[in-house]
Amino acid sequence: MKPEEMDAMEWELRSALERRAAPESLKRNLLVRRRKRTAERRHARIVVWQRLAAMFVLAAALGGGYAWHAHEEQRRGEAAREQVLNALRMTNEALDQVGAQLETRDARKQAEK
Amino acid sequence: MAAGWKPDFEALVDEHQSMVYSLALRMTGDSGLAEEIAQDTFLALDDNLGRMESADHARFWLRRVTMSRAADALRRRKVRSMDLWVEFDENLSGVREARSSPLGVRVEQLLQTLPEAQRAALVLRYQEEMTPEEIAATLHAPVATVKSHLQRGLKLLRAKAGELLSEYLRGKEPAHEA
Repeated sequence: MKPEEMDAMEWELRSALERRAAPESLKRNLLVRRRKRTAERRHARIVVWQRLAAMFVLAAALGGGYAWHAHEEQRRGEAAREQVLNALRMTNEALDQVGAQLETRDARKQAEK
Repeated sequence: MAAGWKPDFEALVDEHQSMVYSLALRMTGDSGLAEEIAQDTFLALDDNLGRMESADHARFWLRRVTMSRAADALRRRKVRSMDLWVEFDENLSGVREARSSPLGVRVEQLLQTLPEAQRAALVLRYQEEMTPEEIAATLHAPVATVKSHLQRGLKLLRAKAGELLSEYLRGKEPAHEA
């Protein structure tokens, strides 16, 4: 603003509105708040990471449990299948023996005739 | 960010705390609230430090945010002009002793009785010596509106100060003191 353009009121206003020195407490309190806020944010970040880590561990445990359960089911299924095959094999052998005995007996009867 | 300019928070606080505090004080008339606004403004600056492109940008940003926060604070508190007058007297009683011109103190007090928009324009104009265009950019208002606020604010201030000024020129203390 050009000085020659200002009237008495404007001069007075400009003089009255000179910048005030900020109170000394302003910067001091500001820096305290800033440090406190930084610490709070760091703490909040740590809490977030802790929660993420806990969620990861929980997910890993659940996933591991599920995988173990699936594997166990498969193992039991294969064992049962093996048992059934064994039973079939033994039955087959027994039937073979019975068949052989019947053939022997039939052959003996024909020879007696 | 502009080459060669690296924002340093504490240096910016040292450089601009007087400006920010004074703007908030003139807008609210409450030194405690002004200090709180100034702290909040600088904390917001801290959050946005990486976006500051130059010293001028930081100054402009601080002025804009300070005015905005002061306006928000005023709206929250719904302070009326008479309340402001009382608060101003209470909170800034020490200022009178430091000032040589009682008229200047009264002019500053009268400023507190103006509507917020006019006060904002006048404070930026006469405290920060900004042009109407710069004020318009700071307040997000059209230049014509800012010029209108300046003219009306000055006119209102002159009217309110008329009696005060004549008493001052006669060498009397204003009747308001009684």
